[in-house]
Amino acid sequence: MDILYLLIPLSVVLVFFILAALWWAIYRGQFDDVEREGERILEHD
Amino acid sequence: MSTIPVGVTHLSEPLPRHGVDESLRLLDDPEEWREFSRPLEAAAEAAPACWESSVVFEGMHCAACAGTIEDALRSVPGVQSADVSAASQRGRVVWDAALTQPSQWMDAVRRAGYRPLPAHDPLASERRLAETRKMLWRLGVAGLCMMQVMMYATPTYFTRPGEIEPNIINLLRWAAWVLTIPVMLFSCQPFFANALRDLRQRRISMDLPVALGMGLTFVVSTLGTFEPEGPFGHEVYFDSLTMFVFFLLAGRWLELRLRDRTAGALEALMHRLPESVERQRADGSFERVAVRRLRVGDVVRVLPGEAFVADGVVLRGTTTADEALLTGESTPLARSIGDTVIAGSHNLSGVVEQRVDRLGEDTRYAQIVALMTEASTTKPRLARLADRVAKPFLAAMLLASGLAVAWWWPSDPGHAVMIGVAILVVTCPCALSLATPAAMLAAAGSMARSGVLVRHLQALETLAGVDTVVFDKTGTLTRDGFVLARMSTRPGVARGQALALAAALARGSLHPVSRALVAAADAEATVPTAGWRVEAAEEVAGQGVRAQVEAPAIGVHGAVRLGSAVLCGLEPASSEGLQVHLADGQGWLASFELREDLRDDAKTAVQTLAGLGIRVRLLSGDSAQAADRLAGLAGIAEARGGCTPADKLATLRAWQQDGHSVAMVGDGLNDGPVLAGADASVAFGRSVPLARAQSDFVVMGDHLMPVAALFVKARDTMRVVRQNLAWAAAYNAVAIPLAMAGWMPAWAAGLGMATSSLLVVLNAMRLSRPAEFA
Repeated sequence: MDILYLLIPLSVVLVFFILAALWWAIYRGQFDDVEREGERILEHD
Repeated sequence: MSTIPVGVTHLSEPLPRHGVDESLRLLDDPEEWREFSRPLEAAAEAAPACWESSVVFEGMHCAACAGTIEDALRSVPGVQSADVSAASQRGRVVWDAALTQPSQWMDAVRRAGYRPLPAHDPLASERRLAETRKMLWRLGVAGLCMMQVMMYATPTYFTRPGEIEPNIINLLRWAAWVLTIPVMLFSCQPFFANALRDLRQRRISMDLPVALGMGLTFVVSTLGTFEPEGPFGHEVYFDSLTMFVFFLLAGRWLELRLRDRTAGALEALMHRLPESVERQRADGSFERVAVRRLRVGDVVRVLPGEAFVADGVVLRGTTTADEALLTGESTPLARSIGDTVIAGSHNLSGVVEQRVDRLGEDTRYAQIVALMTEASTTKPRLARLADRVAKPFLAAMLLASGLAVAWWWPSDPGHAVMIGVAILVVTCPCALSLATPAAMLAAAGSMARSGVLVRHLQALETLAGVDTVVFDKTGTLTRDGFVLARMSTRPGVARGQALALAAALARGSLHPVSRALVAAADAEATVPTAGWRVEAAEEVAGQGVRAQVEAPAIGVHGAVRLGSAVLCGLEPASSEGLQVHLADGQGWLASFELREDLRDDAKTAVQTLAGLGIRVRLLSGDSAQAADRLAGLAGIAEARGGCTPADKLATLRAWQQDGHSVAMVGDGLNDGPVLAGADASVAFGRSVPLARAQSDFVVMGDHLMPVAALFVKARDTMRVVRQNLAWAAAYNAVAIPLAMAGWMPAWAAGLGMATSSLLVVLNAMRLSRPAEFA
């Protein structure tokens, strides 16, 4: 069970990494217009 | 522009300016005012100019905020009225340029804790994007942390006390505490900021109880983690806390997105025009310039997929244009050289070059946007009622939760605090105050898409209760003009010749009959009229036209008369339809029989209305015969002809006194008083400048079916409003006692509150479906 002393803090750190990834995605505009990409195939350019 | 100098002279006066934000002060330049304001007609010549500004407010969360902003604005001397809508986050401020400046009343709003932006500020959309991103980021942080905190909490739920090593339990709690920190500091920040602001201003709003709940839970749980022997025991509620924060944020986020979509038709229309356009240079090449730099007379090139930025005529190219949002005409319209295109419509298929004839404020598009903005900021009666209830309701809830804590304290302080928290979180006056405006805005958006503008949201309520509809005839049931039905000519005169001659006389006249004859002649165009001369044309009011005509091609020289039998010196013939005659020196030459151009869908529209149980009536200023005949064609049971506007109004009043609620459908041109006298009024907007149409609803297209659909939609709207209000009341009536009894954990309270306001918005969403023309 001693491994839990490592795994639990590690899981906290992991959450922070995932949060960083989410931050990157949001501020790169990945979620700005979620419908547009699907409709783009229908538009002519 | 005449009103601007008034502002300029007053600019030089010393105004108290300290403490006003520099960027706001830029707005005091009268040149900037027009970007987001319009001058109001002053009642008297000498009265100082008043301006009406559209403003977007950032940081608004609920109806109580709208009231606060309104109070802040009204406290500024010179602000005459302020209307703020929580549902659209927009507001309308009427202010006196002699007494105040935009920077002053904007600063008042800022001091109240909100950020005002001029509604047409191009930065507004950028800031909105930043705000949505931040909101999503807050939601993401809360969501991920919640998931992990739940993981840390799970073992304690499934084991007996003592089964897990105390050290591991402590480790799990610390881990949960660490992950709750970002939720508290970042995700909850808007709740705390708003609550703090409200406390400073000594008032209560939606966010205060919620923030109080969050803070209390965090304090109790933190003490439980680090001081298990303290007064609140060793229980921790990090899982409940992160979960209700997540639910609240998710609810708000979804609500915002749905609201954007329901008000979407409004927004879509308002933000329709692109920022820039390709303008032709003197050498014929094109450069991209900002739309505001365009001038009347410029030539612009519009690519497929772009919106037209100005009203004007197509000079080169052919295309199809989508005018659905402006006229309700859903099929794309072919547009080629010489055709008119309107600002705000979409160029669908080809590259066209267009001359700019009308720009900005003068376009029909701008008028429509102005009307819609105005409508979205007016507050319907039921919404005002809900807003008034909200504050005392919140105060009562704070009191109730305090009492509940006091009641439960002796048995278990930790548990008592959590019951108090549940009560704070579960109350949802938000659902109550959103119930009406959300539904009405959704309906207004949907109607706008089928070509009917709603000018006052309140009118939807009235319209839903209407049991009698009165149609005007000309311009309403019929299109504006007449069409040529039959004609007869003197032996030896060809049909085309007679028509060409009649048209030559009629060309100078604006009478509907003249226009019909000209249109008919243009359509046939068989006789060359070059070399004809029409001189000394004279219009005899109500009779016809007289002129000296030289038309050698058909052997006519001298005086020609076009008009009634009397004018032409003929025996008045008894005929059902409307007849005009043509006579020259030799006497009778031709007769034209005209009929009114009944709208294609008049009959279906009347049937639909009858199907709703609404009595349909026709009141016309035309002869009783003509009215009866047209009523027969349209399927209207009761018609009354020969009515002056005063007669119409009297008839209307009589019906109203009999207890009927009457809606009037007119052309808005010559039945203004009747429209004003009706309980609800619908006008066709083709014939009048929109801003002058004094009706509750304006039909932009050329069809009658949207009018019938409007009645259906109004009834649907009121049904949804009633459902929403009932739901909001029932939810609070059930949830609050449950929470007080201690049967509702804090996470369930958060879920309940988020769902209840979400349901209200979702229910309203149903109205945003396009109206059905069955």
